[in-house]
Amino acid sequence: MSTTTPRIYKGLNLTIFSLVMVFLYIPILILIIFSFNDSRIITGWQGFTTKYYVQLFNNPTIATAFRNTMLIAGLSTLISTSLGVMAALALENTKFKARKGFLALIYTPLVIPDILMGVSLALLFNFTRVNTGMVTVLIAHVTFCISYTVIVIQSRLEGFDYSLVEAAQDLGAKPHYIFWKIKFPLMLPGIIAAALLAFTLSIDDFIITFFTSGRGFDTLPIYVEGTIRRGTITTINALSTLMIAFTLFLVVVTKRIRKIIISAL
Amino acid sequence: MEDIVLKNLSKDFGTFRAVDDVNLTIKSGELFSFLGPSGCGKTTLLRMIAGFEVPTTGRVYLGNKDLSDLPPYKREVNTIFQNYSLFPHMTVYDNVAFGLRVKKTAKAEIKDLVKEMLNLVKMEDQANKYPNQISGGQKQRIAIARALINKPKVLLLDEPLAALDLKLRQHMLIELMNIHDAVGITFIYVTHDQGEAMSISDRLAVMNQGKIAQEGPPDDIYERPTSIFSAYFIGETNLISGEVKELHEDHLKLSCQDGEGKTFEIDSSFQLAPEAGAHLTLSLRPEKIAISRNKPRSQHDINILKGQIEDILYLGSHTQYIVRVGKLKFRVFSQHKRVYFDDKALDWEEQVWLFWHYTDTWIINDNPFDVLADAELDENGNLKRYIKRSKT
Amino acid sequence: MPKSRQALLVKRKNLSSWLLSLPTMLWLLLFFLIPYLIVIIYSFLSPDIYDVKFEFSLDAYRQIFSGDYLRPFLLSFKLAIYTTLLCLILGFPVAYYIARASEKLKNTLLIFIIIPFWTNLIIRIFSWRIFLSYKGVMNDVLLKLGLIHAPLEVMRTDLAVILVMVYVYLPYMILPLYSVLEKLDFTLLNAAMDLGANEVKAFFRITLPLAVEGIFAGTLLVFIPALGAYLIPQLVGNQSSLYIGQVITYKIKNIPRNWPMASALSLTLLFLVALLLLLMYALYRRRLAHRYKS
Repeated sequence: MSTTTPRIYKGLNLTIFSLVMVFLYIPILILIIFSFNDSRIITGWQGFTTKYYVQLFNNPTIATAFRNTMLIAGLSTLISTSLGVMAALALENTKFKARKGFLALIYTPLVIPDILMGVSLALLFNFTRVNTGMVTVLIAHVTFCISYTVIVIQSRLEGFDYSLVEAAQDLGAKPHYIFWKIKFPLMLPGIIAAALLAFTLSIDDFIITFFTSGRGFDTLPIYVEGTIRRGTITTINALSTLMIAFTLFLVVVTKRIRKIIISAL
Repeated sequence: MEDIVLKNLSKDFGTFRAVDDVNLTIKSGELFSFLGPSGCGKTTLLRMIAGFEVPTTGRVYLGNKDLSDLPPYKREVNTIFQNYSLFPHMTVYDNVAFGLRVKKTAKAEIKDLVKEMLNLVKMEDQANKYPNQISGGQKQRIAIARALINKPKVLLLDEPLAALDLKLRQHMLIELMNIHDAVGITFIYVTHDQGEAMSISDRLAVMNQGKIAQEGPPDDIYERPTSIFSAYFIGETNLISGEVKELHEDHLKLSCQDGEGKTFEIDSSFQLAPEAGAHLTLSLRPEKIAISRNKPRSQHDINILKGQIEDILYLGSHTQYIVRVGKLKFRVFSQHKRVYFDDKALDWEEQVWLFWHYTDTWIINDNPFDVLADAELDENGNLKRYIKRSKT
Repeated sequence: MPKSRQALLVKRKNLSSWLLSLPTMLWLLLFFLIPYLIVIIYSFLSPDIYDVKFEFSLDAYRQIFSGDYLRPFLLSFKLAIYTTLLCLILGFPVAYYIARASEKLKNTLLIFIIIPFWTNLIIRIFSWRIFLSYKGVMNDVLLKLGLIHAPLEVMRTDLAVILVMVYVYLPYMILPLYSVLEKLDFTLLNAAMDLGANEVKAFFRITLPLAVEGIFAGTLLVFIPALGAYLIPQLVGNQSSLYIGQVITYKIKNIPRNWPMASALSLTLLFLVALLLLLMYALYRRRLAHRYKS
C-alpha cells in the first residue's frame, strides 16, 4: 500500500484533508457554542445559558415554520419518491421508445441554476393567478426533487441482478409476487436513499421557496432569513444544534442508515 | 417416462443464430451435459428448457407435455444459476423455503421440508445466515437445496462450479453426483470444462456454433470423435491426413507426406470402409503414442516413425514432447514410469522413435478445413498444422 | 405461436413503461417546461409596479444588449470560476485521501464530508458571519494571539462570498471526484513509476486523465449553481457589487417590480448555461474520443 502513493503526496493530502475538515466544521462548532451564549447580540462570549432552548419551545412562529417545513418536506418526499420509483421502473425497459427523451427531461432541471426554476414557477403562478402558499410551495419542491429521486433509484436499479428475478420465476413465483418479495425489497435501499435526499433538499431549500411561497406561509429557511435581517438568531442556533444532534444521532448510531447513504453515493 | 425432448429447436437473436435446429432426447434420470466453448449456444439451450427464452422455432417437451409456451413458473424444471442468484435479503432458510411459500404450503410442512433439504446438502446449522455470510461452496449447496425442494422433474445447472476454486470444484463435483444419485431426477449440466463434463456425465453433447457436434457417453466421444471439433474440444489430439493406399479386412494403409518430400505409411483400423484412394484424416491421442530413443522391435500391428524432439514440457504427472517428423509435429504424452522409460531422460534435439498400435487411431469424418479456421495446407494438400491447443 | 408470445411480452412491457413514466412526464411538462414558456412570453411584455402589462415590448432585451447588466453577469462568472477552481484544488486531495484510506475508514470519512449538508444552509452561512465579522470570532482570536493589530474586514467583501461559496459547494466537488478515484486502479501508478515516470509525471499522466469524468461532473455540480447564486452574496456580500442572481431576484421581489426584465435576464443566463454545457460536452466527447483512439 505505502508504495503506491508517494510519501510526499500522502503528507500533502492528509494536511489538506485536515484543513478542509476544520473548514467544514468551523461554522457548525460556532453555531453550537453560540446557542449556549448568554448574549443578545451575536458576537462575543457572555456566559453559558440554556435559555434559548427554553425560548425555542415557547416560540409559536418557529413552531409553525418548523411544522410547515416538515409538512412540505414529508409530502414532497412522498410524492417525488413515488414518482421516482415509477419512472425508474419505466426506464429499466431499454426498448422503451420515449426513454431517451424522458431521460433528457429528467436530467435538464439538474443542469439549470435553481434560481431559474424559482423565477419560472413564480411567473407561472402569477400568470395563472394561483394564490401562493402551501400548495405552490409543495408543487415547487416536488418539481426540483423528482430529478434527484429518479436518478438515485434508477442508478441503483442499473446494478440490479436480473438473474434474481429469473431465479424467483424458476421457483414458481408470478410477476406480482416477484415484485413485492424480491424486487421491491432490493430496491428499498435506493428508495430510502432517494427519499433521504429529497427530504434534505426540501428542508434546506431557500431560493425556490422564496419565489413560490406567499405571505403567511413560512418554512424554516424563509423564517430564518427573515430573522437574520432583524439580527436575532440565538433561538435558531438552538434549533440547529438540536437538528445537528438529531442527524448525528441517526448517522452515528444507526449503522444501517450509514450504509444506505454510502451506497447511494 | 418423462424424457426431455427437443425438436427442431432454434433461437435467433437478431441476425445471430444462437441455437441451430437442435434435436435431442435426454432420458429421465440421466445426468446429461452440454459441453462447448463460450458462445456455442449451450446456455441459450438451457434457458429455453427453463423458459427464460422463447424459442424462435421448435418445441420443448417434458414427457408428453409441450413446455414451449409455458412461463418459467409453470414448468416442473428448476435451475441452478451460474452465480447462484441467492436472494441477498433473505436468510438461507427463507431462500430454501421460497418455492414452497410461493405455493402456499403449510408452515409446519415447510419447516420439515427445509430441514430435510438442508440436511441433504449438509447445511442444517447455517439456516439463519444471510448469503453474504457464507462461502461460495455453501452458496452452491443452498442453491441446490432451494431448487430441489420444489421436487422438479429436471434440474438445470448452468456452469454451477465456474465460480469456485479448483479444489472445491473437484469436491463439489462428487457432491453433485451423490445428490444426483440420492434424488434420482434428470440433471442437465452446462459447462465449458471438459474435465467436469467427462467425469460427471452419463452422456454429453459437444456443441459448436449452435449445433450439436456429437452426443454420447464420455468415453465414446473421447475415443471415437466424429468431428475434428469434438476431437479437439475434449482432450488433445494429433491429426494425420493422407491417402488410402491399401484396404485390408481389418485395417488400411495410409500414405502420408512429411512436408519435406518424404512419404511414410501408417496402418490404421477403420470403423467404416473408405474407398481406396480416398483422402482421410486420423485422430491420434497424444497419450497413445510411446516414445523412446531405442528403436522398438518391428511388429506387424505397430506403427513406427522416426522424429526429433523439438520441445519438452514437464507437467508433473506427465511430460509432453513435441516431436518433429519432417515438417509435421506430433504431440506425445509420456508418464514417468521407469519401467517403460529410458534410463536417461530424453533431451531436446534428440532423435527418437514414436510408436503406437494401429487400432489407436480413429478416422474422423469431416473435412478439417471446414472446422479449423486456421488450418493450413502444404503443397501436397496435407494438413500442415497438426497441433492446436484446445480452447478452454 | 411462440413468436407472438415474445411480441406480446414486449408490447406489455412498453405499455407499462408508458403508464409508469406518464405521471412524471406530465408533472415536469406542467411545472418545468411550461413555466419557461411563460418566462419567454413575459420577457416581451411591459413592466408594471406590481405586475406586468400585456403590451409587447423589447425594452428588456434592448437594455441587456446595451450592456446595462454586463457587470452582474461578469461578477457571477468570475465567482463561479473562482469557486470551481478552489473547490477542485481543495477537493482533489481530499477525495484522493479518502479513496486511498482503508475500507473501514473510508465510510466514516465520507460521512464526515456529508454531515454539514444536513445542517441548514442559511444557518451555516450565518455561522460564517459570526466567524468573519468585524467583532467576530476570527478577529477575536487573531487579536488575542497578537497576529494582527486591527480587526480584518472580511465580512461584506467579495472574498467572503468566495470563501462561503467554496465552503458550501466543496462537498459537491469531493463526492464525484471520490467516486472515480475510488474505482481507479492505483497499481497503474506503480506501473508508471516502474516505467520511469516520477511522482509528478505519474500524477499528470495517469491519475488526472483517469479522473477526468469526476472533474467534469464536479465542475458541473459547482459551476452552474454558482452562476445563479443569490443567498450567499446576499448574506455575506456587499450591496455595491451585485451578482446576477441578486439582480433577478430584486426585479421580481422588490417594488417597483420589473418582471419582463427578470425574465429576459433569466433567459440570458439560461442561454449562457446552455452554451457552456454544449462547450463542456464537446470537450468531454473529444476527450473520450481521444482516449478510445489511442
